[in-house]
Parts: sequence; C-alpha cells; structure tokens
Amino acid sequence: MTDNDTHDSTDEPTAAADGVPGSEATGGSSDLKSDGGVASAGQAHAETDYLSSEVNLLKPSTPFMRDHLRIIWTGFAIWAVVVFAPVTATVLAPEAMTTTMPVIGFPLHYFLVAIGAPGGALLLAFWYARKRDELDDKYDITHGGDGA
Amino acid sequence: MTAGVAAAAGLVPAQAGILPEGLNVSFKLLPAILVSGMLAIFLAIGYVFKVADTEGMWVAGRSIGNVENGMAIGANWMSAASYLGMAALIATSGFYGLSFVVGWSTGYFILLIFMAAQMRRFGKYTAPDFVGDRFNSDTARAIGAITTFLIGFVYAIGQARGMGLVGLYIFGDLGILGLSGYQSMVVAMMAITVGYLTLSGMLGATKNMAVQYVILIVAFLAGLYVVGFTNGYSTVLPHIEYGALFSELGREFSEPFVNGGYYLWIATAFSLVVGTCGLPHVLVRFYTVENERTARWSTVWGLFFICLLYFSAPAFAAFGTDLYASEIGPVYGDPGMTTAAGDVIVVLAAQLSNLPTWFVGFVAAGGIAAAIATTAGLFITGSSAISHDIYKNLINEDATQRQQVLVGRLSIVALGVITTLAALDPAAPIAALVSYAFSLAGAVLFPMFFLGLWWENTNRQGALAGMTTGLVIWMIPMINEVVPTYGILADAAGADGVLSATLAQWVPAIGSALVAVPIVFAVTIAVSLATPEPPKKTKQMVRQCHSPEPMGQQQTAEDAISDDGPTPADD
Repeated sequence: MTDNDTHDSTDEPTAAADGVPGSEATGGSSDLKSDGGVASAGQAHAETDYLSSEVNLLKPSTPFMRDHLRIIWTGFAIWAVVVFAPVTATVLAPEAMTTTMPVIGFPLHYFLVAIGAPGGALLLAFWYARKRDELDDKYDITHGGDGA
Repeated sequence: MTAGVAAAAGLVPAQAGILPEGLNVSFKLLPAILVSGMLAIFLAIGYVFKVADTEGMWVAGRSIGNVENGMAIGANWMSAASYLGMAALIATSGFYGLSFVVGWSTGYFILLIFMAAQMRRFGKYTAPDFVGDRFNSDTARAIGAITTFLIGFVYAIGQARGMGLVGLYIFGDLGILGLSGYQSMVVAMMAITVGYLTLSGMLGATKNMAVQYVILIVAFLAGLYVVGFTNGYSTVLPHIEYGALFSELGREFSEPFVNGGYYLWIATAFSLVVGTCGLPHVLVRFYTVENERTARWSTVWGLFFICLLYFSAPAFAAFGTDLYASEIGPVYGDPGMTTAAGDVIVVLAAQLSNLPTWFVGFVAAGGIAAAIATTAGLFITGSSAISHDIYKNLINEDATQRQQVLVGRLSIVALGVITTLAALDPAAPIAALVSYAFSLAGAVLFPMFFLGLWWENTNRQGALAGMTTGLVIWMIPMINEVVPTYGILADAAGADGVLSATLAQWVPAIGSALVAVPIVFAVTIAVSLATPEPPKKTKQMVRQCHSPEPMGQQQTAEDAISDDGPTPADD
C-alpha cells in the first residue's frame, strides 16, 4: 500500500489537532466540506488527518475524539452508578434499601435493580445516540442514507 | 447457601433423569403443531426473503434500518436463556437472579458507547476475522476460531437443556431406549435442530430475524398478560403490578444476598456485561446495517426490544412462584422448587393457571423456537470457524469449496453430538450454563475487541498472550466446578462437587470474567508495550474506525486506508 506514504509523514498525536500544515492531505475530506462549513469545529474537522492521529482511549488526539470521549466517559460513569450502586447500597444499608415502596409495593432495592438498571441503561443509550448525532452536526458530518 | 444457588453456581451435581415436578408430561397435538408451525414460518419467511449472499443483499439495494436491525438484535439475543432461564433463576434464587437481568441488558450500553459503530467501521464481523486482521496473525485467528467454537458448544448446552425440559410438556416422554424422558427429549430436539439447520441451509433461507423477534415476544407477553389476568394478579401493566405480590411471595424471593452473596452477584453481572460485548453472534448484527449511525441507533432499539422481555421476566417469575406455592408446594426450603421446574416456570405458570392446552403450548413453543433458532445460529458460526478459519486458513490452504463444505457439515454434526452428550446430564440450570459461555467471551474476546479498537499499539504478541491467558483463566473454574459434575475428577472433588471451594468462591465459573478481564487487559498491555509496535497499516485501520468521516456502505477500514482517502458514503 505505497500510496499511503504520501500523507503519513507525521505520527505526532498533537500535530493534527493543532492544524499543522500538511495534515490536510486526506483526499476525500474536502468533498464533504464543499457545502461550506464555517463553524470552527467543522474547520478543525477538515484540517484533521484522522489517519495520522493516534488512537488511545486515554489520550484523545483530535478535537473530535476529545468531544466524543467526554460523552463516552460521562455515560460510562452514570452507567456504573445505575448498574452497581443499588446493589452496593443494599449491602451497606440493607434496612433502608429493603423498605417497601408506597403504591407499587416493591422493596426499593428490587425495584432499582430489576427495573431501574435496565431502564436506566436504555435511557442512557438513547441519550448517547442523541449526543453522538449532535456531535456529527457540530463537525458537519452527514451519513449516506439518512438524509444526507 | 440454599440448593437454588448452589446448583446455579454449578456447585451441586445434577441428578440424572431430571424431571420438572408439576409439569404435565404427555404428548399434546395442538402444541406440537404450533412448534412445527413456528419453525415452518421461520423457514418460509427466510426462503421468501432469501438472498444468495450478503453482496446480493447490497446489490438488491436492501439494507436494514434501525428498528428492523434492533429487532434482529433482540431475536438473536432471545434464546432459551432469556425466555426460560432468567425467570427460572429469579424464581429459584430470588434477588441473585436479577444479576442476569442486569448483566444481559445493561451490557448493551457498553457495547454501544465503545464498540458498535467502531466495529461497523472496521468491517469484520466474525471474531476470528477481527482478531486475525487486527493483529495480523493466523494464530490469533485460530484462537479466535477455537473460542468461537467453544462458545457455541457451551452456549448450546443450555439451549439443549431448555428444549429438553419444555419438550416434555409438548411431546411427552418419548422413552427412547434406556434414556429418561428428559434425555430422550434432548436427543429428539437436537435431531430436530440439526434438521432445521440443514433445511434452512438447503433453502438458502437467511433468517428474517425481525419476524422471529415478533413471534417470540408475542408468545412471551401473551403468556404473561393472560396468566396475570386470569389469576387476578394484574391488568394492564403486569411489569409493575407484580409489586403487590412481594408480601405474599416469601422472603426468599426478594431478600438480598440470601442466595449468593454480594461478590457472586457482582461477578455474575460483570461477566455477563463483558460477555455481551464479546459474543460473536452479537457482532454479526452490524454486518447488514447501512452505516455507523444505523449501527448506533439499532443498538438502542435492540436494547429497547430486549428490555420488553427483561421487564417481563421477573413478573412472570413472581406469578409462577406464587402459583407453584399454592398448587404444588413450598418454593423454598427442602425440597422446594427444583431447578428443572424453575427452568420451565414460564410454561408451568401458564399450565397451573388452567389455561387451554393450545395456549400453554403456544408459550412453550415460543421457548422451543427461541432455543432452536439460537442453536442453529450458534452451530453455523461454530462450524464456519472450523471450516473457514481453521481448516482453510491453517490446515489445508488449497481446500476446495467441496472440502470446506464437508468439513463444515462434519463440524455441525460434531457440535450436535457433543452438545447432546453434555446436555444429557447438565451441570446447572439453563441460565448458568449459558453464562459459562459469557465468561468465555468476556475473558477472551472482549479484551481483544476493546483494546484492539481503542488502543492502536495493541499488537500481535500482546493479543496472543492475552487470549491465551483468558482461555486459561476461564478453564480453571470450569475444571474446578463443572467438569466434576460429569464424573471426571469426581473422586478428587469434595462433597460439594468442586475441587476447591475457595477457588469456587473467588473465581466462580459463572462469573470468572470479573477476575479474568483485568488480568487479560494487564497482560495484553504489558506484552504490547514490551514488544515492537504494530505496523503503520494496522494503526491506520484502527484510526479509520474512530474517524468521524463517513465510509462507503461496503467499505471496511482496510479498504479505506488503501484507497486514496475515504470514499463519500452515498456513492
């Protein structure tokens, strides 16, 4: 795959993010920008060569990755609480957690685990997918087949 | 520890000739017709919508949207473990059973945020393909293939147990010579499964999973609503209304940690979460979606469709437990409800409500159809791992198409035979058996997918070391707890049927991924750091998975980096 070598000279994680000249070489990206994105995120996107930007979960190297990981970690933190906090609280405070809830009659811990955790994960999934779509808008990205 | 969880954790040898007490065991014509009818519908619809291959699907301009793929995710997911096994563990093990509800549903969020879209962009949808291409290694591919085969085998044991038990209600005691009613049924149902597989193969039927989902969920929800209504438990929303039953159900139903402690609960839930993200048959659902955005939204829809069943299972378990207590005997204590009765609690609840045979049969047929369809899928995946990834790639590179097909067929038969043998005297209830497969997927494949996608410097050596470590850690508790129940090493095992009780407590087979995942991560990362970085081309493939740039429908990350820049998505 020799044709890659033309735009792979830099492997510095920060280079692309800072818009270093020469990192724009990703052929097709300019097509996508032709409808004119003036937003700075869109600009940053056009100037980023994603194929030269390191992928490391703990060290996001592009503005897009930084934004994306902020959403991912937020969601992950809430998920961890929704899934593991009720059961942990039940160990720590069994009395308080097993009180019967008014009206529906569930013990609190049972409700939080049987309905709260799966329901919470579902709401979070919806939230994430929405957020991720907003990120696409911010970076002027349209996907084929869904109204592009 | 009560009998429920001891057996759930695989600590008690299953007694031969398991028989669900209270279940009406006899041949029933209408239910038998319903089971055959459901399978015939699956085949017919698959045949009508058949496409020669996946390329054909794209050429025909047919791509699968959010909702339809979400249903397919749901159908793929709904095996006997969800349909029968979950309600069973909630009924027999109370609060501990909820760790299955939590693990099998909330894992989809982790799959969504870390892997769904990236996998779609990577463009490889079988575990052996992914590890083989990501880590440039045929050995990694082979370990991936062996793992896939093992997952299919272990997963299918649980399905066979479910089919065998529910089959007793529909077909009665077949009395195949020398075998108990349950064992005869396992043999018969596995024969039907292999037949179904052959037929769907011959018809070229790609299963229409959306329709399959609708049939299964209707059978389950209809059962729940009718049982709830006829017994006066519930009216419009049984998922919440069963709350009123808690005061009558007995303390064991809801009291935390009487059946299995906090550690076992967390280990089980964690294992099921990571297993969800590592299971080969979940990944393949991103194959036919239009683009990564569809991959994301269909995961959301998939979770929604799964939740429909998962909110219902505890309610069904509550109704079943209450009916069992009033019609058969005490649910908890000695002897209490056996795990065999637990595994058919969904059917038993309908039967004990004095509903017409055809209706009970409809609920039972849903369970059998779920088990057969899932087993068929697992066997296809397992056999292609053997015929394609091991035979063609490693053993005989010049294999002809015919030879490959032959090896594929032989491995299906082999899978059928070993699954049947292992299911004749199964070590644990359905859900526990299936969770062994989740531990395996979580320990071996999840770390490879996760690190492979999120850390570009993960290399071949790291992956090989990590996968091997994962396999070993998975096998230790399996040998410790599960193997002795099959009579091997039984002499070395103590009275509780395990080799080491301490090991079983801290590394339970049912949740061994809690221990395995951190170790496999550490090993993979350490070895990757100590050895040379992967080639630039591999790194670029990983980068391509995370780029927000749209990709073509049929493009893989590999194509994208060898083309000159990404292709516009709407070509």
